[in-house]
Amino acid sequence: MSDVAAVEVTNLVKDFKGPFRGKMVHAVKDVSLSIAPGEVYGLIGPNGSGKSTTMKAVLGLVAPTSGTCSIFGKDSSKVDSRSEVGFLPENPYFYKHLTAAETVRFYGRLCGMRGRALKDRIEEMLELVGLQDARDRRLKGFSKGMLQRIGLAQALVQDPRLVVLDEPTAGVDPTGSREIRDLILELKTRGVTVFLCSHLLEQVQEICDRVGIIHHGVLVNEGSLDDLISLEDKTELILGNPSPDLMEQIRSLVDVTHGAELVSEGRARTTLESLFLKETQGQRTGSTQILRARKSQKRATK
Amino acid sequence: MSRPASTSFFSLRRAFIIAQSTVTQLVRMKVFYFLAPIALLFLGLQFFDAFWYEGPEALMPEQELRMHKNLCLGTMMLFTSLFAIVSTALLIPGDIEDRTLYTILCKPVPRLDYLVGKLFGVIAVIFIAMLVMDLLLVATLHYRTEAKLADMTEYMTRLGYPEREVKAGRAEIAAHGPTLVLQFGVLAHFLKACVIAAVALLISTFSTSTLFTIATSVMIWIIGAFQSIARDGLFSDPALGGEPNLAERIVGTLISLVFPDFQLFEAISDAAARAENVLPADMAQLAGLSAVYVGIYVVLSWFVFSDKEF
Repeated sequence: MSDVAAVEVTNLVKDFKGPFRGKMVHAVKDVSLSIAPGEVYGLIGPNGSGKSTTMKAVLGLVAPTSGTCSIFGKDSSKVDSRSEVGFLPENPYFYKHLTAAETVRFYGRLCGMRGRALKDRIEEMLELVGLQDARDRRLKGFSKGMLQRIGLAQALVQDPRLVVLDEPTAGVDPTGSREIRDLILELKTRGVTVFLCSHLLEQVQEICDRVGIIHHGVLVNEGSLDDLISLEDKTELILGNPSPDLMEQIRSLVDVTHGAELVSEGRARTTLESLFLKETQGQRTGSTQILRARKSQKRATK
Repeated sequence: MSRPASTSFFSLRRAFIIAQSTVTQLVRMKVFYFLAPIALLFLGLQFFDAFWYEGPEALMPEQELRMHKNLCLGTMMLFTSLFAIVSTALLIPGDIEDRTLYTILCKPVPRLDYLVGKLFGVIAVIFIAMLVMDLLLVATLHYRTEAKLADMTEYMTRLGYPEREVKAGRAEIAAHGPTLVLQFGVLAHFLKACVIAAVALLISTFSTSTLFTIATSVMIWIIGAFQSIARDGLFSDPALGGEPNLAERIVGTLISLVFPDFQLFEAISDAAARAENVLPADMAQLAGLSAVYVGIYVVLSWFVFSDKEF
């Protein structure tokens, strides 16, 4: 794997002029971050904290007031740097007059793809995001979730080494959200670097290797997820079918141990999302499941 | 997959892909439906024949044909100019508003490719529309000219005109038919529409709304149509033998650089309608001038657009 960082942001400052020569708005203040190749990095923060501006600076959509951004060692402001990037904006809109297949084809051609390779890639991408059945439907009839999926397909069409996702599951139902999450994890296993912004902290926690927290344009905390969220002085113990006697013994043991304290005790809980997925399983045509089955079949035949 | 090679400064292929998508977009927006009333108008003009031909105020056949051409060329000019403004004004701000532009510019697409592609797309649609209208014009004019030639021949023969005069009369009418000069007139309108589209492209790169782009482009179109008259009136009257001084010449040149002189295009079109001789060299000069105008506006658009933040 290359030593060059997938994304390198150094002392990024971005100021916007206020209307009518008003006060300058300092959107990003001296942010530095580095994302290693193959890493899944989550940038989280409240609305207006500078997440999207940082992302846009990385993609060359805004010019830094000072500081630099690079992608695999290439200056972000140069077009070359975008050859290996796939981007999915928040609430993406595409040309509504194009069909799903035409949309992927359009972006593929922009990346220099053509011929048989492009044709195969279109089918592969539509299958990956579960839109094979909608391949010839125009995007104007697509739901928000479907637009998000086609957005992912166009982002991945040229097989980029870096995928930048801005709120990838915004407006997507929990099942779709889970599928997108699985897809991100699959990208990770393939060595693709993922840089994502999300408000869904639980999702970030589940898929990211490292997280940066940005607030008022300042990167206030950054590190590996384990380092950031583990509580040094607390230990969690989840037992399966513990008898009342066993529980009593544990309590007694804690009582007689100097400095130890039982903070809380109760039944372990599932998440609402897991419950939802369990209850709705089988009620929706699971394109991803079909895809997985096909992939397993292909692997088996190989 | 192999790693991509470096992206060239400008790629005609990428511009072509964007142009192709723009054509598809405009076609699927059903812009060609506007051609239906124009076709009806062109065909409807045939029925005015009897009205003009009869009575004491009857027009000469060549006057009728000139009127036919004037109406058709005027309609073509109006349609293509307005179409060039509105479609260009809608496309780029539309891409910015719905963030389609983000996904395009995040691919290895230089901004110049995007601008040129959009402009080429609009120009291609104008070309197709112009071609359809031109075919209609040629067909209706041919039909009408043939009818006039038959009438005139029959009329002059009946009155016992010598064959030489019949031949001269026929030649005069035929000159008002679908000739190469008429095609120069159509081409002049096409070139004018290309320049207007380039003007609208420039405005749309810094404009904040579609309405502003359309209003400003229409204003420039109007100024461009009358600027030569205004320059003559303001600075010196050539009819009185006045020569512009240096300051007037500089201001005049600046105005003609900022606002394209559409009178030049109209001059060719008017000459075509009057069946006057238009030299291919004049046409080539007009095409060259249009290319310079389009080139300047595209470069200016690129300067503005290359630093634009989204």
